[in-house]
Amino acid sequence: MPRNDDKTSPYYIDNPARVRAIQAAMRDRGLAAYLGTRPRTLSWVLDAFCPWHSYLVIPAQGDPAVFTFLVDATRLADETWFPADWVRAYAPMGGQDPVSCIASFLAEELGLGGGKLGVETGISVYTPEGNLTKYEWDALEGALPGWELVNSHEIVDELQLIKDPGTVARFREASRIVDVGQAAARAALEKGGWKGMTETVIAGIAALAMRRAGSVSEWNFAGLNEISSGYRTGLGACTPPTTREFQAGEPLMLDFHSMFKLALGDHSHNYLIGPASARLRRHADNFVELVSTVLGAYRAGRTPSDMASIMVGRAEELGCADFVVPGCEHGIGLFGDEWRIGGRIEGPFPYWTDPDHEYAAGELLICAMQYAAPDEGVGFRYENPILLSGKGCEPLSKYPLAIEEIA
Amino acid sequence: MEEKLPYLEKAWRDEAAKRLSAELTPEKMNGITTSMADIYANCPDGKSRWMFVRCAEGRLEEFLTGEGEAPEAEFRILGDYGTFAAISRGELGSQRALMTGKLKLKGNMAKALRLAPLADRINKVLSTVPTIY
Repeated sequence: MPRNDDKTSPYYIDNPARVRAIQAAMRDRGLAAYLGTRPRTLSWVLDAFCPWHSYLVIPAQGDPAVFTFLVDATRLADETWFPADWVRAYAPMGGQDPVSCIASFLAEELGLGGGKLGVETGISVYTPEGNLTKYEWDALEGALPGWELVNSHEIVDELQLIKDPGTVARFREASRIVDVGQAAARAALEKGGWKGMTETVIAGIAALAMRRAGSVSEWNFAGLNEISSGYRTGLGACTPPTTREFQAGEPLMLDFHSMFKLALGDHSHNYLIGPASARLRRHADNFVELVSTVLGAYRAGRTPSDMASIMVGRAEELGCADFVVPGCEHGIGLFGDEWRIGGRIEGPFPYWTDPDHEYAAGELLICAMQYAAPDEGVGFRYENPILLSGKGCEPLSKYPLAIEEIA
Repeated sequence: MEEKLPYLEKAWRDEAAKRLSAELTPEKMNGITTSMADIYANCPDGKSRWMFVRCAEGRLEEFLTGEGEAPEAEFRILGDYGTFAAISRGELGSQRALMTGKLKLKGNMAKALRLAPLADRINKVLSTVPTIY
């Protein structure tokens, strides 16, 4: 839809200020220009959904431009705050391939003859991370004599860490929408509604409810709404839904995703389809207790390794440490930013979350916990965006934490 | 039989401008305001030449040809004389020339795409000018 930047809206984000913040960091690092290619950067600066491989060129001073795939340029221009003339297309045509466009923009439009060009590269478990490829790096070096490419992704990563009020408000709304999806799924499952139902169908029921409530996408790259039932709940933390039918006496995990103004709803809820065995009930109670412990422990000043220790320690006490996947969070931000926590890459494994990253007030992350007993065909998942403060954390999905037995 | 005019020379330019003004009404040109410079490299005499078109609200305001530096234009299309000549003779489509890299476009591709049919209309008129290449 055409853009409406209402500064009185709770969802308003001062996007030009974000550009200025990047430019200030560029000047500190001596960069003449910055080339953003990752969806997390594109979302954060353009404030628009940008699914095709795109190139955001930010000069140290002046207005940025974005080059995106020809088929989507007009739509993107309609939705971003950038003036239409600064949303450019690239295409497989003479002078219009991405590298030619970028080189021409820097040299001919900006009049920049050389300097340091900040780029975004590295490694990620997230396939569509959008890092600059070796081909692109080499081609840009060839097309830009006098320029030195410098990996500078941390500029954006650090600026994204603390969420502004507009972003938090968007996440609250995305989480409210996910709760609508969870309620719709609950209503569809109860009173025998689960009989004959499949993972794909419950995913669709929730998707429809969330779309009606204002979501524009189930966004998740790992399978949109992720669903697992029966033995599949114990297979780990990525379960695109299948046509498997639900059965009595088995666990069911519903991991729903909504998107509201690029903010990402992400909440997992678990059920036992009755009648549940005592062993299954015991696993479920363990998991709810673990999640409660972890949510109660999150606060600014703690680190990911602190949180893992707290979780594993409690699991030992409960006698379920063998079933706990170590780690209890992943990063989150506007669309495309859903993996690593923290801006720097100084941890023991570069580009993975630094286990010693000290959380600060205003950080938002997904509390993500996975319990898996594959030999017993049982698993549970909890995901919820949490907003950290000095006193604790606020789970943004308000759907009650429980693993109910439904009949 | 019509007299053939040397491509890009003054007589050719005057005849082309006359035909463009007569045949391309503002309605046919969708009321556009834009400018375009074709930059011809490797002309038969070894020089570089250009052809410049400027429209305001669909009306042809300027149609110029020359040597050396072309006027500033919203779009610049660079290619060999032979490629442009083939387009003017109707032997090669401008889209194909761009897609095969024989021509290079400088300017906002998203806008250029909307103008492509209009450029084709201009080329179609130019192809009617009796020309010596």
